[in-house]
Amino acid sequence: MIPLSDFLVVGAALFSIGIVGLFLNRKNVITILMCIELMLLAVNINFTAFSHYLGNLDGQIMVFFVLTVAASEVAVGLAILVAYYRQRRSIAVEDIDTLQG
Amino acid sequence: MAEIEFPFPFPEHLDLIMPEMILASMGLVVLMMSVFISKGRQQVVAWTSIATCIAVAYSVMSVSGQDVTMTFYGYFELDAFATYAKLLMLLATVLAMFLSLNYIKDVENVGEYYTLMLFSLLGMMLMVSATNFVIMYLGLELMALCIYVLVAYQRDVIRSTEAALKYFILGALSSCMLLYGISFLYGSTGSFMYVEMGEVIAASGDDARLAVLTGMLFVLAGLAFKVSVAPFHMWTPDAYEGAPTPVTAFMSVVPKVAGLIVFIRILVDVLPGLQEEYTTLLIFLAVLSMAVGNIAAIAQRNIKRMLAYSTIGHIGFILLGMIAGTSAGYSGILIYMTIYLFMTMGVFGIIIMMRRDDIQGELLDDFAGLAKVRPGYALAMGLLMFSMAGIPFLGGFWAKYVVFIAVIEQGHIILATLGVLFSAIGAFYYIRIIKYMYFDEERVAFNFGKGLPLQFTVVASTLIIVAVGLYPEPVMEICRTAVIGLL
Repeated sequence: MIPLSDFLVVGAALFSIGIVGLFLNRKNVITILMCIELMLLAVNINFTAFSHYLGNLDGQIMVFFVLTVAASEVAVGLAILVAYYRQRRSIAVEDIDTLQG
Repeated sequence: MAEIEFPFPFPEHLDLIMPEMILASMGLVVLMMSVFISKGRQQVVAWTSIATCIAVAYSVMSVSGQDVTMTFYGYFELDAFATYAKLLMLLATVLAMFLSLNYIKDVENVGEYYTLMLFSLLGMMLMVSATNFVIMYLGLELMALCIYVLVAYQRDVIRSTEAALKYFILGALSSCMLLYGISFLYGSTGSFMYVEMGEVIAASGDDARLAVLTGMLFVLAGLAFKVSVAPFHMWTPDAYEGAPTPVTAFMSVVPKVAGLIVFIRILVDVLPGLQEEYTTLLIFLAVLSMAVGNIAAIAQRNIKRMLAYSTIGHIGFILLGMIAGTSAGYSGILIYMTIYLFMTMGVFGIIIMMRRDDIQGELLDDFAGLAKVRPGYALAMGLLMFSMAGIPFLGGFWAKYVVFIAVIEQGHIILATLGVLFSAIGAFYYIRIIKYMYFDEERVAFNFGKGLPLQFTVVASTLIIVAVGLYPEPVMEICRTAVIGLL
C-alpha cells in the first residue's frame, strides 16, 4: 500500500510548481490560469488522500465542491481576460502595467 | 403513492436561513426584471435591490434572538455575532447602492450590476454564518467571483479590466492557499466543523503539530489576502484604483467585515489550542500592515489608491483587537468596522460627487480649493479625514481607542505604542487633503454631482461620525452584546 506521505509529497510538489509558475511566468496570462488550476488539483489530491486514509468521506465531497468552484472560477477569469484583451490587444504579463504606484 | 423516506431527518429551524433565501430569490428576480424593464426605467431595478436589502435586514432581525441558533445539522449558525455582522453588511450594501445610483446609470445592463452585488452579499452572509470550512469556502468563492466581475464592470475602460485581472489572479491564489491549509487541518482532525476541529487540535500531541501548523499558516495567509493584510496586500491598491468608485466603496467595507468575522471565528473555534503561535504571527502581520498602510499612503497622488493603503493601515489596527483575543478585543473590532463603514462610505460619496464629464476627480489636486466652492462638502470631507486620522472626538478616535485599550489590557504595550506612532504618521496624509481643500487655489471648475441618495449618504455618514464621536456609548454597548456567547 502506498503510504500517505507519498500523496502529500505529490500534492506539495504540484502546489509548489503552481506557485512558482504563477510568479516566475512573464509571458502569458493563460499560463497563470493553468498554474491556478494546478494548485487547485494539488489541493484535491490532498483532500482525497486524507479522506482515504482517515476513512472519512467528507474530504471527497469537498473535492466535488472545489472542482465546481474551479470551473466557475476559470469561466470568470477567462471572461475578464477577454475583456482585457479587447482593450489592450495583448495578454503578455509584462504589458499589465497601466496601474502603478 | 409511495412514501418518500429521507435518509436523515428533515432539517429543523429552517427559518434561520430565511434572510439568505429571500436574498437569493430576489437576486434572480432583479436579474429578470432588468431584462423585461425598458431601458429608460432601469432605476426601478436599483430601487428594488435596495428594498431587497432592507427586507433582508428586517428578516435577519426578526429571526435572530431565538434560543436555537443552529440549523442544517449545525452547519449554519445565526448567533448575535453573525446577526450584527449581517446587519452591518446589509447597511453597507444599501449605502454602496445609493452611491451607485447615478454612477452606473449610463452603462448598459444595470440589472447585472445589482444582481452581482446581491449575490456577493449572499456569499458573505453565508460566510459569517458558516460553522464549517465547506460552507465558508463556498460563501467566500461566491463573494469573490461576483466582486471580480464588479471590478471589471466598466468593460471599455482599460484600468477597470486590468484591475479585475490582477485582483482575479491574486484572489485565486489566495483561495488556493486557503484550501491547501484547510486540507491539512482536515487531514489532522478528520472533520470540517470548526468546533470539532478545535477540540481535536487542542488535544493533539507533538506528532500532529507540523501538519496543524502548516494548515494554520496557509489558512491565515489565505484569509489575510482577502482582508488585505500586509504582506498580502499587493492587489489592494490596483483593484481599488481600477474599480468603479461605488464598487471600491463596496469592496472596502463589506468583504472586509465578512473576512474579519470568519477570521475571528476560525481563531476562536478552530485554533484555540494554538493561541501562542497565531498571536506571534498576528503581531507580525499587524505591525507590517500598520507600517505599509500608513507610510506608503503618503506617496500616493490618487485618492482611491491612497484610501487603499489607508484600508491596509486600518486593518492593521483591527488586527490588534484579534491579538488581544478577549471579548473586549473582538467587540472592539466590531466597533471599528461600524465606524469605518460610515467613514468610508462618506469619503467615497464625496469622491463620486467630484466626478465630472472628463475628469474622474480622483487626484489629490482635484480637491484644491474645494472649501471656497462647496464649503459644506469640504467640511464633511474634513471631518471624515480627521476621523480617519483618529483625532478626538470623532468616531475614528473611539474606534482606535477601543482596540488599543484591549491590546494594552493584555500587556502588549509596545504594540499599542507602535499603533499610536503609525496612527500619527497616517494623520499626515489625511490632513494633507484638508490642506489642499482649504489653503490651495482652485485649479479646475467644480461641477458637483447631484442626486439625493448620494447627498444623503455623505451627510448621514458625516453626522453619524460626529454623533458617535461625541456619544460613543450606544454603539459600544451594541457591539459588546454582539460578542457575548462568542468566546
